[in-house]
Amino acid sequence: MIYIETLFFVVLARGKANAVLKKAQECGASGGTIFLGEGTAPSKLLDALGLNEVQKEILMISASRELSDNLHEVVNTEFSFSKRNKGIAFTIPFQQCKLNPDTRKQENASDNTNTATNFPYSCILTIVDKGRSKACIKAARAAGASGGTVVHGRGAGIPTDFYYPLVIEPQKDIVLIVTAKEKTLQIRERIFTELEIDKTGNGIIFTLPVSRATGLLDDTSEESKEVLT
Amino acid sequence: MSSIFEKTKEVTRTLLPVFILVLILCFTIVDVETDVMVRFIVGSVLLLAGLSIFLWGVDLSMNPIGEYMSQEIATSRSPIIIAILSFLMGFLITVAEPDLLVLGSQIESASGGTMSAQLIVYMVSIGVGALITFGVFRLLKDIPLNVFMAITYGIIFILAIFVSEEFLAISFDSSGATTGALTTPFILAISLGLSKVKGGKDSEENSFGLVGIMSAGAIIPVMLISIISGQKNIHGNAAEFIPTKGVFGPMLSIVPSVFLESLIALLPITILFFGYNIVKFKIKKEELSVIVKGLVYTLLGLTLFLTSVNSGFMDMGRIIGIQLATMSPWILSILGFILGLIIVLVEPAVHVLGEQIEEVTAGHIPIRLIRITFSLGVGIAIALSMVRIVVPWVKLWYFIIPGFVLAILLSFRAEPIFVGIAYDAGGVASGPMTATFILAFAQGAASATETADVLVDGFGVIAMVAMAPVLAIMILGTAFKHKHKMVKTPEIKKEPVLSPSLYSEDAYETQHNCIIVVVNRGFAEEVVNVARDAGAKGATIMHGRGTEEKEEEKILIPVVNIEVQPEKEIIWIITDSQISEAVSNSLLSQTKLTEEGEISVFVSFTEAMGQD
Repeated sequence: MIYIETLFFVVLARGKANAVLKKAQECGASGGTIFLGEGTAPSKLLDALGLNEVQKEILMISASRELSDNLHEVVNTEFSFSKRNKGIAFTIPFQQCKLNPDTRKQENASDNTNTATNFPYSCILTIVDKGRSKACIKAARAAGASGGTVVHGRGAGIPTDFYYPLVIEPQKDIVLIVTAKEKTLQIRERIFTELEIDKTGNGIIFTLPVSRATGLLDDTSEESKEVLT
Repeated sequence: MSSIFEKTKEVTRTLLPVFILVLILCFTIVDVETDVMVRFIVGSVLLLAGLSIFLWGVDLSMNPIGEYMSQEIATSRSPIIIAILSFLMGFLITVAEPDLLVLGSQIESASGGTMSAQLIVYMVSIGVGALITFGVFRLLKDIPLNVFMAITYGIIFILAIFVSEEFLAISFDSSGATTGALTTPFILAISLGLSKVKGGKDSEENSFGLVGIMSAGAIIPVMLISIISGQKNIHGNAAEFIPTKGVFGPMLSIVPSVFLESLIALLPITILFFGYNIVKFKIKKEELSVIVKGLVYTLLGLTLFLTSVNSGFMDMGRIIGIQLATMSPWILSILGFILGLIIVLVEPAVHVLGEQIEEVTAGHIPIRLIRITFSLGVGIAIALSMVRIVVPWVKLWYFIIPGFVLAILLSFRAEPIFVGIAYDAGGVASGPMTATFILAFAQGAASATETADVLVDGFGVIAMVAMAPVLAIMILGTAFKHKHKMVKTPEIKKEPVLSPSLYSEDAYETQHNCIIVVVNRGFAEEVVNVARDAGAKGATIMHGRGTEEKEEEKILIPVVNIEVQPEKEIIWIITDSQISEAVSNSLLSQTKLTEEGEISVFVSFTEAMGQD
């Protein structure tokens, strides 16, 4: 049985996820989950024209650590993620929960080798009400992030007293930003203050450790300046 | 790589086959004047630009407007407001639809002036408004769409007994005329918005069907008028056809009127929305500016698109129709089939519907499959229409009535989401391309056939195009259901487990864990409930598609080689690190979730900030 200890995420242009998934399965992945999102346009001109949405697909594969390292190589060589705007891939250490005490202990043991310093990147997730994702990305860019991916989702239902007994499921935007570890704190703080996350009902922000990332642009400083001015 | 380029690419892909086929015909068997041909080529380029811009504009403006308006409808506290608002929306957008006015004046001349165009337009608009209202209540009250549509079409069939053959064609045509380039995307957006607000397990199924309801709403009033006025026969003759000369002259000359038409069509939605915005929504400036930009794109794109279609494509269609009909009925039918196969994909609403299907089902229903079905349906529809024109004894109702009856019967057996898509498909397929190019093609064919009458046989073509995709998608939906029968997974033994925490606290100093749960669609509510019972506060649900783990369970559609991937829901839960164990364990100990839901749970540590 494959030992699941990471989730391997790939963000790429819409329609391409199936090809990557197929490749991953050839490498030994058991399967994956795909969901749709929207990226941000890199250019200011396009943004002014309202052409600022890029449709993306996000692929999530559960994999062992070795497999996910392999997959990084694969996306790099086969799908040339190292080139600009091709897509990004990153690994987040996750544990698959199984109702089996024996495997659990092993997982726990292997975990101790993994220290916090091992994570060069982090993934900041912000869940806000629908429509506020743009403000979130703006804040993140101002703090040095290169961009983000927005996924639409819904919050768990709250029953209401409208004419029809609807269970209103508030629509949410989930903003996913992968960034270098050094920038994490400032980006998070910036989003936190600008979107007033501390006020009730304004959303939630959390960071996940990323043990490896491919295709992330390093030369983001110019872009963020552009946004700031 | 912004998605406007993606859209242009997509439009090019669909337009290119039409372009190539027509050019091949022009250089081989059909003799076309240079003027018409040049105009067709210029028109194609304009159409490409226009359609791309239009689709982009619809994305930016119609979708948010539809969402806001539907939210307003669904969250109102009184049924009267719901009724008034839905009626108003249906009425206003239909009154402003340019295609309907064209049909109205056609009916006016066909009836020898006894039915005025204005009367038709208003009656149809009232009919659409009323049915949209019923449709909204249907959605809110959870009445299954297949039952609702069976009743509606039942009424139509009863009325059809009293209506003469000619007017049967006209009535069914009117359904195609109301679902124009602008109304269809808007109603699709309303439908999507309503189902999103309503949420729940059926939200996917509810995202479709309103366009179908709207089409039915147009048929009934025309039938009623015909019965009440006692009008039986069609009078008058079609105007003589003379192809216009010149290339840019005819194009430029229609721009103002087309622009005005588009503006009028766009106006009611815009006014309604901005009125509500001032009073109620008070949308932020940034978001509003995007919507305004979108509206401008929509107007611009629609004008370009309609101009190119009217001036570049109509004469071409007519000439091809005339010349093919004089050759042989076989060639006419076969080429009609091929034309239908490819032309439907250029319809703006087909793109919009495709996108919506992808969005709603997160890619579970492959768009390519829907497109292929559309193509086949419309291809067959046009081929049969050609047969009808050439062979005098073949009547329209031979196809229309059995077609709809079969579709209604199948709707009780088909996969529920396909029922909505199928009924919508009729309105979606019969857009401006059908109303111009295909209609002109049919009229051309009729004028060259001695036994056919341009006016009488001209009616009914749109009706065929509006019916065939409904049946085709319904068949697809039935096939889908057949393939989808679930394989029972064997029983798994459950033991409650207490295990040490996943990460030692001191190493990371985090107080929260992030749990990602992946389940089959429909189980998200269950997961949230279980998680809440175990102490989690809230959750965010996303929609996705997954892979089948076992090779033999994979659903692969033969011939076209498209894999259908199962739908999944992804639930993100942030919990205190102390209770994350309890949450994941209680999730995994639910037999229902592990067996039917095929649940997988992943846990990672995280730092979270924020308040619920």
